[in-house]
Amino acid sequence: MDPKLTEVSQLFERFKAALVRNDFDTCSKLLSQLKILLIEFKSLPPLFEETPNAVQELTIARDIYEHAVVLSVKMEDQDAFERDFFQLKPYYTDVGSRLTQSPQEYPILGLNLLRLLVQNRIAEFHTELELLSANALENTCIKHAVELEQSFMEGAYNRVLTARQTVPHETYVYFMDLLARTVRDEIAGCSEKAYDSLTVKDAREMLLISSDQELFDYIKEEHPEWEVKNGLVVFQKAKESAPCKEIPSLQLINQTLSYARELERIV
Amino acid sequence: MTQDVEMKEQQVPEAPSNSVSSTTPVLQHLKEIAALIETGAYAREVRRILRAVRLTIALRRKLKASIISSFLNVALAPGSEAHTRLSSYLPKDDENDMEVDTASSATQTTVKHSPELEIYCYLLVLIFLIDQKKYSEAKSCSSASITRLKNLNRRTVDVLASRLYFYYSLSYELTGDLSEIRGNLLSLHRVATLRHDELGQETLLNLLLRNYLHYNLYDQAEKLRSKAPRFEAHSNQQFCRYLFYLGKIRTIQLEYTDAKESLLQAARKAPVAALGFRVQCNKWAVIVRLLLGEIPERTVFMQKGMEKALRPYFELTNAVRIGDLELFKNVAEKFATTFSSDRTNNLIVRLRHNVIRTGLRNISISYSRISLADVAKKLRLDSPNPIADAESIVSKAIRDGAIDATLDHVNGWMVSKETGDIYSTNEPQLAFNSRIAFCLNMHNEAVRALRFPPNSHKEKESAEKRRERQQQEQELAKHIAEEDDDDF
Repeated sequence: MDPKLTEVSQLFERFKAALVRNDFDTCSKLLSQLKILLIEFKSLPPLFEETPNAVQELTIARDIYEHAVVLSVKMEDQDAFERDFFQLKPYYTDVGSRLTQSPQEYPILGLNLLRLLVQNRIAEFHTELELLSANALENTCIKHAVELEQSFMEGAYNRVLTARQTVPHETYVYFMDLLARTVRDEIAGCSEKAYDSLTVKDAREMLLISSDQELFDYIKEEHPEWEVKNGLVVFQKAKESAPCKEIPSLQLINQTLSYARELERIV
Repeated sequence: MTQDVEMKEQQVPEAPSNSVSSTTPVLQHLKEIAALIETGAYAREVRRILRAVRLTIALRRKLKASIISSFLNVALAPGSEAHTRLSSYLPKDDENDMEVDTASSATQTTVKHSPELEIYCYLLVLIFLIDQKKYSEAKSCSSASITRLKNLNRRTVDVLASRLYFYYSLSYELTGDLSEIRGNLLSLHRVATLRHDELGQETLLNLLLRNYLHYNLYDQAEKLRSKAPRFEAHSNQQFCRYLFYLGKIRTIQLEYTDAKESLLQAARKAPVAALGFRVQCNKWAVIVRLLLGEIPERTVFMQKGMEKALRPYFELTNAVRIGDLELFKNVAEKFATTFSSDRTNNLIVRLRHNVIRTGLRNISISYSRISLADVAKKLRLDSPNPIADAESIVSKAIRDGAIDATLDHVNGWMVSKETGDIYSTNEPQLAFNSRIAFCLNMHNEAVRALRFPPNSHKEKESAEKRRERQQQEQELAKHIAEEDDDDF
């Protein structure tokens, strides 16, 4: 076996052991060492040279980046997640046909979809979705994320929240918690427009807050314009599109002038 | 498949008129074209070469191996590198008509041929090979031509080169190896940019976008598109294609308003004969409009030659219009194969949300007060907790301004508001303004799109010339149609 490959795999074993112990400091230190070692392999992206050990090197590199992604989730570092995921992606898309499929592939792809959803990057979410085959879409991990997006768009928020109980993978919990926070803000925004008032108890249930005091704190922090009186939360309705009293004269003058100019050009 | 059949039906009436007019043998025509190219190359008139390409496309269906090989004998010096290479791609038939061969040897043999003519020969052989479905030969022929092209830097070659790029990509697409040539296309695009070959840039950019979109690489496509140099379009067909790809990218990235604009423009600008292309544009445009919450008019689906291809989309529109979730699901399942071959599956999934919205709007218009349980029943939400779902869906619709209503949580009902007098607001004025702006813009674009041939104001068109020009235009339309036929 190639000495470099042996070195990497030994280091990788230590990294995995540290990851199991949840020893994040050691993990990140080992990971940066590993990444530096990986640079020396010519078979990896972006060179993709055909070396005798190419398949082994690619496989171990893919393994390392998969673990790096998991580590970033455990450390709750979204930026690191994005970086590691993009480093991992070529192993799935460009050399996927040369390697045996990783069991981690779909969970990680699903995790990435979830991250995009949490960060409200819906356009990127759909761009990623287009890359997946019909087979992949059937996978529970991917399906979970896709269904979440649908419920989210429809507004069926309680479905989003119950999905937390059915996460396909333990790493998903972190993002689901983040999602729950986004959902709470969404619900608050919708309720404000849809209801005149709610009882404190209903509001608490709807916003998934456990005690009255927390609810009051939440209102104070996020929505100071809401009023609480007689056990009711009263929302201040946004101004209706009131009948126009004033003529927007300046705008009208501008428009008319531009019509005149255009018409002059035609005649 | 249906598109192909329809394309052929359309072309049948045109074909005979063309063959009647050309009584001279094909070889004679080819020689005339070669002369045209030579003069074009000599006088540096790109227009002539453009015309030569157009004339070739008209001859396309009548090309035979024997004719091409005798043409090669005339055009290229026998024994030269290009000649031997190109002849090797042509199949040898035994019944090689002797008289054609002798005729050609009797005519003058060009001692020194221009590079334009050589490239033209490559193009001719390549078109022939693709028409004969000899894709592996076509692939090696196109690759050889591209290598040759890289060493040529002449503006008069650009027109021929852009055609070659197209067939190069097409031959690889037909064998399903499009990803192989991506690097090559990128470097060609770079070269074209450095040489200010705008037609080449345009063509190559489209080919690259097509290449990326073939593998659903929307991210890369958008990055390339936004960074590539932009200029006034040179060729209408390339511009149509560009708009179509742009529309697709924007649809995926949820920029529906822009997407709709590009797709509709592409459908409008495409020539009438390019049916396959227009059908594609219309399919995507229908979905984008549905996603925007608009309902396309019935006339969209009744356009000539498109009824059958657009049928699934028509039924889909119907389901969205009624707002019936059950019907929508049935349609999506019934035409699942069509949608997945059109690769619109994911977009259809997105539509579910619009179906619910329309249903909700209908309910809110018909009832002044309705219980949430009934709303859930009418929308046919199949979930473990329909009332809570309905409540949050309604509240989101209210926030997004889709319906004008309020919720009463204690009693569990939805109360629709009286529709106010819209004419007391600024709304109508805004709508009016946007329509005027649209019309004025349309007029300006129409003026800008007018093109005049050089010197047209000096000499009046004679009857003869006009006929010739009309024929040319017809050929052009047909040629575009054929190309798009290849595309889809």
